[in-house]
Amino acid sequence: MAGIIDRPRFGCALGGALGLLRAIPRAVPILHAPAGCGYSVYIGLNAGAGYYGGGYCGSTSAPSSNVVEKEAVFGGEERLREQIASTMEIMDGDLYVVLSSCMVEMIGDDIRSAARIFPGVLATPTPSFHGNSYHGYDLMLETLIRDYVPEQAGKKPRSVNVIGLVPGQDAFYKGNLREIKRLLALIGLKANTLIGEGESLEDIRRSAESELTLNLSDVYGSLSAEAFKEKHGIPWLRAPLPVGYLQTEKFLLTVGEYFGLDREMIDQALQREREVYFDYLERISDSYNDLDFQRYGLVVADANYAPAVTAFVAEELGWLPRLTVVTDPLTGEQRARLDSRFETFEPSIKPEVRYDGNASAVRRHLADTWERNRNQKYYEALSPLIVIGSYFEKDLAEQLKCSYLPLSFPVNSRVIFNRAYAGLSGGLTLAEDLFGAIIPGR
Amino acid sequence: MAEGKLRQIAVYGKGGIGKSTTTQNLAVGLGEMRKKIMIVGCDPKADSTRLLIGGLAQKTVLDTLRDNGDKVDLSSIMKNGFLDIRCVESGGPEPGVGCAGRGIITAIGLLERLGAYTEDLDYVFYDVLGDVVCGGFAMPIREGKAKEIYIVASGEMMSLYAANNIAKGVQKYAVKGGVRLGGIICNSRNVEREIDLLQAFARELGSRLIHFVPRDNVVQHAEIRRKTVIEYNPSARQAAEYRELAGKIDQNTFFSIPTPMSAERLEEILIEFGLMENIKDAYQI
Repeated sequence: MAGIIDRPRFGCALGGALGLLRAIPRAVPILHAPAGCGYSVYIGLNAGAGYYGGGYCGSTSAPSSNVVEKEAVFGGEERLREQIASTMEIMDGDLYVVLSSCMVEMIGDDIRSAARIFPGVLATPTPSFHGNSYHGYDLMLETLIRDYVPEQAGKKPRSVNVIGLVPGQDAFYKGNLREIKRLLALIGLKANTLIGEGESLEDIRRSAESELTLNLSDVYGSLSAEAFKEKHGIPWLRAPLPVGYLQTEKFLLTVGEYFGLDREMIDQALQREREVYFDYLERISDSYNDLDFQRYGLVVADANYAPAVTAFVAEELGWLPRLTVVTDPLTGEQRARLDSRFETFEPSIKPEVRYDGNASAVRRHLADTWERNRNQKYYEALSPLIVIGSYFEKDLAEQLKCSYLPLSFPVNSRVIFNRAYAGLSGGLTLAEDLFGAIIPGR
Repeated sequence: MAEGKLRQIAVYGKGGIGKSTTTQNLAVGLGEMRKKIMIVGCDPKADSTRLLIGGLAQKTVLDTLRDNGDKVDLSSIMKNGFLDIRCVESGGPEPGVGCAGRGIITAIGLLERLGAYTEDLDYVFYDVLGDVVCGGFAMPIREGKAKEIYIVASGEMMSLYAANNIAKGVQKYAVKGGVRLGGIICNSRNVEREIDLLQAFARELGSRLIHFVPRDNVVQHAEIRRKTVIEYNPSARQAAEYRELAGKIDQNTFFSIPTPMSAERLEEILIEFGLMENIKDAYQI
């Protein structure tokens, strides 16, 4: 028997695809789905992503075929064609994309053939029995790369596409992409982040001219990276989301090595950044020592954030991450990749790593990794502790009477606009938020 | 089954085995016994009741639903056929689109809402198409619907293979509900030692061969004239066979949870009764 999912930390494939389309100005989704799908996805995605909103044609304004029993029995393609036509007439957009729900996929509606009769309309089957919202993002992006991005003969030197941050699941995706773009520019690379600040459909269409695709994830975005490679002859490189100086340096060296850039040049580019970064970080050092700001850490996050945030608090803040819970369902290969990210930790600060998506399981894993207080004469408590997780970990932090910072999905208790945790400015912001979270408790 | 209580019966069997022919002739046999009967054809082809209504195609439940939405009048989808047997066809989508299984669920649900199951009924027959390929086709044997199943089979191997598969489906519902197998009806194809084979097969299933319907061309003659045998030629020998089948079903008290067999065991039985010369001939298994 399959296990239960206790408070899922992701939505369905349709939700992931909608999350990506929400990030693309003038892209209009057309849901081939019962009325509840679009609504439920919005409810889950909006607040969970730090109040992402629906935009012009998302949330309750999302065009949907709203299929009912009649379509379930007789097929819904005719209804879908009608919906595509009316959406194109009423909704003002530059790209229309049909997405499917589980129901219409179960009855075998062919959304691709229904969309094909409308020139320029794309279709991405997104039944949730194929995967979750992270997968939905990948399916949608793959469709854009294969069916929307025109082929380009020549490549622009030192241009890079950036993928792997899942809008919505990553509430900070836009700020993060801004910082990644800035970092790559430091070493002379021009980044096309596809869905970053000021970017549009035009940038997505131009993505075939890049020389390389950078995948910021160990887990997400592989289908899209492969699509760039197969369809547009663009090789791809995995360079996980960096948080803080040490990871950023490694990130830029990895990318720089690919392009054969001079190490010296990269170091020079980082010199000013180092000065700025540590000038800020140094401010907290007195208080850190005098007021004892060191903490044990419990990190609960997805495959992008869990290793990066754990490494940041361990290696840059000098904290002691005791347990890291990675919340995605992963294949053996993906898990091995993530395991390798924790192998580089100094043995004394290496956390216990668990893979578990269930919110209630975090407490159990913590109990497994730290001896309980059984009224011993001398007991070393896991204190002071900070919980860095999602909104679901709020209760746990209250029970443990410790500090808490929500950053992984869902982050219902925060409003997120352009805040970023990636790179150098992101590292500083994360440090601000972490220290900020422990100060009120004093 | 208690006297005067509605008996809901589902008839399953391999496609083309003669389920509709057998069900309609059997229903007429029961009709002659003054039983009140409704037949619900659960097949998108909607040809389960043509012998009773003389080919007068009534609108199917789902056609009506498609055209009129939920505003369906029972009289538009139910036609009284020979001996006032009530005839309904669920209908379904065009081949290759939509979900026929869901259609059956929708159709039966609609019939219930429209009050088709009146208290004066003695029998409701569900004539379900071919193999039970998904949950929709098991609708008639879900909780609260047909409690009795009869499987129509012949001595041909694929027919028994399908019958065994159907028994697996019945077993699943029998274990968790009140569905029981009432017996196997043999619709003869004049295969050698057919009756022995069917008896052995039924025994292995933990059931019995309730009746052996011999092959007779009068069935085809009647069908061409869109009639059941009893209506077409009441004195024909075949008419007596259907009356006998009706009597046996009316009096049936032996209901079992089937014990479907493995493919290997099915092959053994087939070999034992000489149907299969060589195991290599069993390309279907």
